[in-house]
Amino acid sequence: MREARLAWSGGGGPAGPAAFFLAAITLAPLAIGPSPELLAAAGPGLMGFAALLSVLQSAERLYGDDFSDGTLDLYVLTPAGLSLLCLAKTLGQGVATLWPLPLIALLGGLMYGVAPLSSLMLAAALAAAIPALVLIAGFAGALAAGIRRSGLLIALIAAPMMVPVLIFAAGAGRAGFEGDERALANLLLTAAVSLGTVALVPFGIAAAVRSRLG
Amino acid sequence: MAVCFGGVLTGVRARCNAVFRALTNAPRSGDMRSMTTAFADFPDMSAFSPRPLAASGLCLSRGGVRLVERLDLDLAPGGALLLTGPNGTGKTTLMRALAGFVRPDAGTIGIDGQAPEAVAADMLGWLGHVDGLKPNETLRRALRFWAGLHGTPRTAILPLMRLMAIDVLIDRPAGQLSRGQQRRAGLVRVALANRPLWLLDEPAGPLDGAGRERLAELVAWHRARGGSVLAATHQLLDWPDAQTIDLGDYR
Repeated sequence: MREARLAWSGGGGPAGPAAFFLAAITLAPLAIGPSPELLAAAGPGLMGFAALLSVLQSAERLYGDDFSDGTLDLYVLTPAGLSLLCLAKTLGQGVATLWPLPLIALLGGLMYGVAPLSSLMLAAALAAAIPALVLIAGFAGALAAGIRRSGLLIALIAAPMMVPVLIFAAGAGRAGFEGDERALANLLLTAAVSLGTVALVPFGIAAAVRSRLG
Repeated sequence: MAVCFGGVLTGVRARCNAVFRALTNAPRSGDMRSMTTAFADFPDMSAFSPRPLAASGLCLSRGGVRLVERLDLDLAPGGALLLTGPNGTGKTTLMRALAGFVRPDAGTIGIDGQAPEAVAADMLGWLGHVDGLKPNETLRRALRFWAGLHGTPRTAILPLMRLMAIDVLIDRPAGQLSRGQQRRAGLVRVALANRPLWLLDEPAGPLDGAGRERLAELVAWHRARGGSVLAATHQLLDWPDAQTIDLGDYR
């Protein structure tokens, strides 16, 4: 809860990632060209990719700030359990900053000429992907906390781990576009990856935090 | 009251009273009645069960440089220990080792006979060299958050803030406060954690004279409850019956 509130008060809340995401998906067609078939085909993949980038964009602040202002020391010394605290913190921040992304993806899908139902599928897939993306970015952020210009390191650590989520989430939208029944399977796989990260990654984050404080 | 002889200004008298009160409440005063009257302004928190801190043969290094060589220390419940020594002699490193953040090269640390990593979360009130405040968060929200996390009732927040004379700042974002005011808020947070063993890194660093007296009162209250305090400091803190270790002697 506190993280969600802090993310709101400290630096524009969801405006940053949302603006980034919006800019990415509106500028991409200008680069790709005006062919409607091409745009509709590339749309879901583009949006999945743009979502990934906007998650990475805020990953540096998530643990870097807490490291430098001493909050991480205090989190380690609370009886609540560091893993649980990290899970709450990361998800809270993620939900607070990234909630507009599925909505924008829905509109973006329509804008790209993807059928409404497929756009809905894409939005749902992104919503399912966000917990996984945020937690993986949080893990990388915790590993790199306290390092100057940690953004590059975070991208290098997190990007490979985000590959499955990207494939499944974008796959759901793409399969939906092609009228394929694999769309639902992809969506469920995305949700499964997300649940898996919720269960496992907090322990990784807690271990990373402890090692960074040493 | 002899110290106040000739003190015509009420401010001076108030200051002397504060020192006097702190002095007369040395930890061994077992008289509960005098304790409750002397600490009437403090929130009502129960006494701690005794948790001694001990370290023996401690060797610590940082960045490959050996800082502390074969240090022994003992901190009994109700006691106070001041770490002094020039910059870079390992005061902070020692405190981080006692809190379980850093592993010592050699030697043992026991909080109530157990390893610090295992019990630190239930035993320690920690004030690092930064206060753990968020620039955009008001003190009210920050302190409520920490009180909730440590299971301390919110009603303790305001009396403690009043004691540190920052109660009027309760709705100000921490980023707008001076360093000394932030330090006072950090001390309130430590008290709210309601843990028997306080590790304070430069608690008086940015504090003014009045702030140092309020810190002394806070520490006296904590010790009267059976808590103990270990503080790294460059200031002269005249806490009653405090041992001093000069880390410069352990190089």
